[in-house]
Amino acid sequence: MAPKASSGKEKLIDEEDEVLQAVILADSFDKRFRPLTTRKPRCLLPICNAPLLDWTFESLALAGVQEIFVICRSHAEQVKAAIRESKWSRPGSGIKIVPIMTAKETFSAGDAMRDVYTRGLVTSDFVLVMGDLVSNIRIDEVVRVHKERRRTNKDAIMTMVVKESGATHRTRAQGDSSVFVLDAETSECLHYEPVSAYPPTTMTRIPREVLEAHPEIDIRNDLIDCSIDVCSVEVPSLFQDNFDYEDIRRDFLHGVLTSDLLMKNIYCYVAKDGYAARVKDTKSYDSISKDILSRWTFPLVPDDNHPGGHVYQHTRGNKYLAADNSVALARTCKIGNNTLIGASTRILENVQISGSVIGRNCVIGAGSIIDGSYIFDGTVIGAQCVVKRSIIGAGVTIKEKTRIEKGCLLGDGVVVGPLAVLDNFERLSRRRDKTAGEEEEEDEDEDSDMEEIEANQEGASSMLGKDSNAIVWPRGPSEDDDDDDGIVNYKNQRLRQLGDDGSDLELSDAGSDSSDGESDESSEYDSSGEFRLTTETGTPLATPSLDVMHPPGTMQESEFRIEVAQSLERAFAEGHSVDNAAVELKTLRMASNVPLSRVREAVVAAIVEDIQIVDGALPQRKEISRVVGRWGALIDQIGGVDAVESVSALQMHCASSERFPLFGQILAELYQADIVEEDDIRAWYALPEAKGAGLVGGPTAENVKRCWAVGARMIQQFDEQESDSESE
Amino acid sequence: MASEVSNTPTQRAVENLAWKLRRRQIVGSRATALETLLVLRHVISKSRFSNMEQLVTIIRGVGRRLVEAQPKEHSVGNTVRKVLHHIREEYHTATRGSAAASYSGFSISKFVLLGQPRKNTPLPKAESKGTLKENDPDDPDSFARSLKPVLMEAIQDVLDELETVYDNVSKNAQNHIHSDEIILTLGMSKTVEAFLISAAHHRNYTVMVLETAPSYGGRDMAQALSAAGISTFLVPDSSLYGLMSRVNKVILGAHAILANGGMFAITGSLLAATAAHAHSTPVVVCAGQFKLTPLWNLYHEYGALDFGDPSQVLGFEEGSLVDKVDVVNPFYDYVQPNLIDAFITNDGDHPPSSIYRLIKETYDDEDNEL
Repeated sequence: MAPKASSGKEKLIDEEDEVLQAVILADSFDKRFRPLTTRKPRCLLPICNAPLLDWTFESLALAGVQEIFVICRSHAEQVKAAIRESKWSRPGSGIKIVPIMTAKETFSAGDAMRDVYTRGLVTSDFVLVMGDLVSNIRIDEVVRVHKERRRTNKDAIMTMVVKESGATHRTRAQGDSSVFVLDAETSECLHYEPVSAYPPTTMTRIPREVLEAHPEIDIRNDLIDCSIDVCSVEVPSLFQDNFDYEDIRRDFLHGVLTSDLLMKNIYCYVAKDGYAARVKDTKSYDSISKDILSRWTFPLVPDDNHPGGHVYQHTRGNKYLAADNSVALARTCKIGNNTLIGASTRILENVQISGSVIGRNCVIGAGSIIDGSYIFDGTVIGAQCVVKRSIIGAGVTIKEKTRIEKGCLLGDGVVVGPLAVLDNFERLSRRRDKTAGEEEEEDEDEDSDMEEIEANQEGASSMLGKDSNAIVWPRGPSEDDDDDDGIVNYKNQRLRQLGDDGSDLELSDAGSDSSDGESDESSEYDSSGEFRLTTETGTPLATPSLDVMHPPGTMQESEFRIEVAQSLERAFAEGHSVDNAAVELKTLRMASNVPLSRVREAVVAAIVEDIQIVDGALPQRKEISRVVGRWGALIDQIGGVDAVESVSALQMHCASSERFPLFGQILAELYQADIVEEDDIRAWYALPEAKGAGLVGGPTAENVKRCWAVGARMIQQFDEQESDSESE
Repeated sequence: MASEVSNTPTQRAVENLAWKLRRRQIVGSRATALETLLVLRHVISKSRFSNMEQLVTIIRGVGRRLVEAQPKEHSVGNTVRKVLHHIREEYHTATRGSAAASYSGFSISKFVLLGQPRKNTPLPKAESKGTLKENDPDDPDSFARSLKPVLMEAIQDVLDELETVYDNVSKNAQNHIHSDEIILTLGMSKTVEAFLISAAHHRNYTVMVLETAPSYGGRDMAQALSAAGISTFLVPDSSLYGLMSRVNKVILGAHAILANGGMFAITGSLLAATAAHAHSTPVVVCAGQFKLTPLWNLYHEYGALDFGDPSQVLGFEEGSLVDKVDVVNPFYDYVQPNLIDAFITNDGDHPPSSIYRLIKETYDDEDNEL
């Protein structure tokens, strides 16, 4: 009975005998689509005439997911109703969809994950996606790879799906790229850094430990983050443990990768085939619509497997018309390429439509021009209108001779015109009906927003035409932004707008027309002239963009130094084990957020200070060997072995300490105890800093030079030994 | 859809297949035909009906659902039509004896095979007549009960035909390929592969396989053929015209054979057939009978209505091009009947001009629209 063509999905299930679960975060936790999303959640906005959530369900169904939890917050009732009425709740869909209402206090993806944890929804490895995903990637393949990896490595808690896209790509949002550092062989994610477009970023920092532990790494800035994560059950609990995690990438991923204590690994799956992208903003809405129409999402295309269940006829030039012959096209209308027209829509004479999506039951009046726009169901556009690169909500009425320039968003039910002219990037929504009590409007904070906007409507009505019921949303940086850097946000936000190419902004990820290379990586080489990525542990470089992330905080550092000294004093006095002392230091380092080199300096200093100055060469040597033998191992245990740096730290400390005469002996002892190798001493000796370069005058500089001379003698000895052994 | 089908396990089986077809998890004409047949068998064995019309309505309902789910896999509809045809035949045999059987005696295919029509048709199966009672008010299931074994047998016949299709198509391979010939083929077609391998048992000949971009099915084909010990060359698509003068015969596979004698076949077939036409090289198509489709090409002159994703042609990572270039990646070409010389099916060899007749024999006219 078993047919040959049984899909891989079934085999997978047979083997594992385990239900594949998925969690959809159906709330975007941002407001980029307003005013379209004031009365409707973003996941129910139509893209190519089917709600985004349906596209997401279909993407997961392709992967053989059997149980889906939809975490909804805003307009949760609408989401619930949509799921109940969709084809997915019919028998035979093979998928169980459970909407989960989360509390109003859920403000971020992290909160939602904590909710997932407290409800105990997931029982095994699960797929975590956003409610605005369009994908045809074989997620089951990713899950398989993930499970296989879990079998050998229990610490591989997450696999992220990323997609190669090239230096510039319409689907890779300009203000939303990130630098991934991957192990070339295992594609383990070693370092992650989000790159915001503004202020311009030209540098990325890669921790030195990454370069030490992995012989070959890929530094990539051309990946689209699909936000498809295959997670283990530990992931929600990690969110629970770290209550400050909000964003899955910025906080969670960064936190796990930088943590010395968690010791968890996160891997990337670089998808070669398939398509996946998220509708994050109006710009990606535009590019994903184009990708769907030009069939990158095959078999998830309008004429094949339209998630809304509509049937479309595909004709040459990627024109899609509803297949039930209900579309009325006037003989003189021109339908350009990459256009989708929904059922029962009427296109009248001399209309020109290109690169657009028209919903169902729309009317486009005679002589109108629609270019690159997205018009939702039931919209009526009068005669002689021009609509360019805009999103027009459902049930909108645009009266005759109205001009809508690029980047406009018109909320549901808006009426504009006649003879209205809308500038670029205008946002309109319907004025609320004052007489009817708006009980269904549950969100107070949204209400207050609306009131504020309604209060500022002077002079708008002349622009909107005499029959309009619309209010104009304010443009530019919003004043009530919580962050003080509202302007920065606004500039970044602009890049996410439909139709805004941000050509007047100076950006970090400059497009192909800019002169400074194609990607961040190349500009790093350009600007510094050498491979400066490894200087994480060195002296802090003056890069404004990154200093924001790592505040130097000299206050903190001196405090830290004192704390380390005290902690080690205690350890020396009470005779702790080296391991315990190392853990204590690690915790200290995490708490005060200082680079590893500071810890090393402090440890070396403390050890040196612990050595008692005794008279006579032999007892002194004994004392040194006691201390180094007891505590020398600590230098290597604090995280990352870097002997050259240890010697430098020793030199610097000795130069300014009363134990300066002991430098040679301590160095020799370190060498004896195998903490420092001969090669390390040679490397240190070759450093310009070791010679005292960069220090001006004073006894310290003098001492540094003398330390260097000691090193020179030592190397001489090494050379002699070598030649001795050779001559023997 | 008839209410009888809505009982859950049956409906679930139908929906399941519909989903798989929609999502393109089952592709290829033979695979879809097999799956359709299995679902139909399930439906017939589980559903309740008390007369012929009800049964036909049920099967048509299922068929319509599946065809709507994926109108581009023509063999789904073909299989449903074929099953309907067989059911009617069995029904007629059961009620009126040999009346129906004599109709198929003058088959075109047999005409070609046997040389001349014969009067003495094979004896119809000895069915016990009279037990078949439709709409029996006392026992509404009696009709179904008495007919079901026969129907199962009919479906088993179709199933057997599908399973033996490769053997039957390649039965006469040695009559079509002669020693020291150079054969040109393209794409990965199981039927053509079986045909060529079968011919290789008797003849010593050479095959040139076009790579068949962008799917590059030709590479698999070349591997399979050379593994079977046939002297095989894998050649780039661009050299097609240059090589054609040396080729003795072009053998193609088909996705669907249309009523006018044309066919849908993998992209590149039209190019190969046209080049062959220019050199007067015979073009032979190997295909199972389940690919016969009572349709015409309604799209346009050259393409079939099925386009894949552009990623095979233009990489997604070519970001700057993606925005500016419209990529068209059709799965199938439409090859006109005048470019084809013969169809080799599991039911004998036919010229394109007699395909209409074959379709009329295989399916009932009233099923052309499901």
